[in-house]
Amino acid sequence: MSRKVCIIGGATTPFDYGPTGFESIEGGAAECIKETQQDVPEFSLRDLDLMIYSHFSVHFSHQLAPEWIIHDHLGLVGLPHYRVENGGNTGGSALYAAALAIMSGHHDVVGIVGWETMDSVSQSQGSEFIAMASDIRYELMVGGIYPIYYAAMANKWMKENHVTEEDVATIAVKNKNNAMDNPKAQWYRNDHRYITVDDVMNSRLISYPIKKYDCCLMSRGVAFLLVCTEEYAKKVNPDHYVTVDGMGLSSCTIRAGDRLNNPGWTERYGPGYPGMTEFAACRNSAEKAYKMAGIKDPLKDIDFGEIHDAFSTSEAQIYKALGFADEKTIAKFIRDERTTMHGDIPMNPGGGLLGYGHPVGATGLMSMIECYYQLAGMIPQKHLSKKTEVPDPECGVVNSHAGTGTSISNFILRRH
Amino acid sequence: MTLSVVMKNKKEKFADPPNFTEKKEYRPADVTEKGLVFVGHEISEDRTVMNQFLHYDQLYTIRHGWNSRFFIGLLEGKIMGTRCPKCGDSWVPVRTHCWNLDCNLQKTEWVEMPLTAQVHTWTIAGWSGRSSLKRLPIILVYANIGTSKVAMANELHGMNPWDVEFGMPLKIVFKPKEQRVGAVTDFHFEPVDFWKPTPMNPEKQRIKDLVMPVYEWVKTLK
Repeated sequence: MSRKVCIIGGATTPFDYGPTGFESIEGGAAECIKETQQDVPEFSLRDLDLMIYSHFSVHFSHQLAPEWIIHDHLGLVGLPHYRVENGGNTGGSALYAAALAIMSGHHDVVGIVGWETMDSVSQSQGSEFIAMASDIRYELMVGGIYPIYYAAMANKWMKENHVTEEDVATIAVKNKNNAMDNPKAQWYRNDHRYITVDDVMNSRLISYPIKKYDCCLMSRGVAFLLVCTEEYAKKVNPDHYVTVDGMGLSSCTIRAGDRLNNPGWTERYGPGYPGMTEFAACRNSAEKAYKMAGIKDPLKDIDFGEIHDAFSTSEAQIYKALGFADEKTIAKFIRDERTTMHGDIPMNPGGGLLGYGHPVGATGLMSMIECYYQLAGMIPQKHLSKKTEVPDPECGVVNSHAGTGTSISNFILRRH
Repeated sequence: MTLSVVMKNKKEKFADPPNFTEKKEYRPADVTEKGLVFVGHEISEDRTVMNQFLHYDQLYTIRHGWNSRFFIGLLEGKIMGTRCPKCGDSWVPVRTHCWNLDCNLQKTEWVEMPLTAQVHTWTIAGWSGRSSLKRLPIILVYANIGTSKVAMANELHGMNPWDVEFGMPLKIVFKPKEQRVGAVTDFHFEPVDFWKPTPMNPEKQRIKDLVMPVYEWVKTLK
C-alpha cells in the first residue's frame, strides 16, 4: 500500500494582466510561500526535500529554464528540482508528479511553484503563442487559435446535447460573479462587476458560439502548493490538511479532428466516442480517480469542484465527462443551477479560469488551492465573505485540462 | 563474444543527405533576423518599476522529413494522404505509421486523395491570432477529405458565414501555383457547385448579428 499524499497549504499572488507587472516572478514565488507560512507556521523551507516547477511556455518568460531563477532565489541550492510542462494541464501534472514522488517513499515534503507571464506580449500574440501547442504544421496558420478549436468542438456538442448559448452563458455568469468575492481574482481586480446572461450574449464574437465573456482571462500570476506525507501533515498542520484520495491522468489526440474513429478510444468506449465533442481524457482520468478514491456516484459522493473552465462551454462538457449528467440530462442539469453556490454541487466557487484567471502554469495549482481552502475551512479568511463558501464540504474534485482536451487530470481531495 | 565496431571514414555520412535543388525565398521585406535586441524601456514616475522591451526574431527550419510528400503535394495542387497497408485506415493530416496498436507502428503508404470533403463541425471566428486578424471573420471547418478517418481544419470560403452547415459537401480549392508556399494555407474549402444554402432561420440570424460587427471592426485595423 503506497503512502497517503496530503496537501497542507498553498497560496497564489493576485492574478492580473499587465501592463506593469506587480512583482518579479521569483518575488511572487517567495510571497506565496510566506503566505503559506502564515497559515502553517510550523512549515520551514528547510523541510522541503523536492521542488517541482509548473510552467507552460518559455515563449512568455523569454527565458529558458526560468525555474532555475526562482529556485536559486528561494535559497534552495542543493535541493533536487525539475520542471513539469503539460500544456494547460501543467499544474495538474505537477501535482501528479509530486504525488508519485511521495507515494514512492522517495520524498516527504514537496513544494510546487507554478507561474505564467502572459502579459509579456499582446493578447493576440499571446493567443498565437498558446496556439503553438496545437500542431502548427496543420492548424495554426489556418486562423486557428484555441478558442476557435474549442468553439468548433462546442458548437457540435451543444447541438447534440440540446444545450443553448444561454445555458452556457449562465456558467460564465456564475464563475465571474463568484470571482467578485475573491480579492485575488483577475475579474475582481479588473472588470470588477457582476454580470448577467444578457451581458454574455451581447459580448463580442470570439468564435461562434463562444463570445468574449465565455472565455477565460490571460493572466500573470504565481502559485505555491505544499504537498507531503501524512506523517508530516500531522506534525505541522494537524487540523487543516486534506488527502489526495484519488488521481487520474489521461491523454487524447493533439488535433481534435483526429478523435473520430480513433482505435485507442474505440477499444475502450466503443465506436463513435469521443468524436470531436466529448473530452475522453477527462472521462478516462475521472474514472481512474473515482476508482482510486472509492467514488461510486460522483453527484452524491462529491460536494463541489474546481474545474478547468477555459470556456463556459468546456465547463458544461466537463460536467458530462465527470459523469454528472448524460446527453438526455445535461441541459436540465445546467438549468437547475446545480453547480451554483446554492446548488448541490457548486463548481468553481473560487471563480475558476473565467473569473480568477488562467496564468497557465499556475492555473491547476490555483484550483487545488481553492479546493484546499474549502476543505480546510479557510474560505472566510481567504475570500471576502462566506457567500462563496461551500457548506461543510468533505470531498472536492479538481480538474486540470490541456490542449483541445489533449491531456487531462482529475483529483479527489478529502478533508481530514 | 567479440564486439565488432565499424569505423567510418570521417567524411563519410551514415545517411545520404538530400540534395536540395529547388530553393525559393519569399521573405517579406519587413521580416528580419536580429536575434535578441533590447529596443526600449519605460520607468514609472516614482522610479520603482521598470519594463524593458526585448525583440527576438529567429529563422526556423521546419524539416518535414517523412511528412514531406504532403507539403510537396500542396505545391503541386494535390492532397496527399497516407494509408495503412494492414488495416486500411487512411489519414489527412498524415500519419507515417499506423495509429492502430494491433498494426504495431506499421509504416503507411502514400495515397492521393480526391479534392472533395465533408464538413464534420464548424465555427465562425470573430477573433484570432495576430497573423490572422485581417482575414476575419473566418469560417473554420473540420472536414473529412476523401477516405480520411480524421477531420482536417481549414478555412471555408465563398459563402456567407451564417450559411455553413454540418455535413455540407465541399471542394478543395488551391491558390494559383505561383502563390503556393507548401503550407496548408495553399488551399481552402468551398461549397461544391450544386450546394445551395437553406433559408434564413433564427440561428442564422443570430450568427449574422454577431458577425456583422466583425466586418466593421476589421476595417478599422491598420
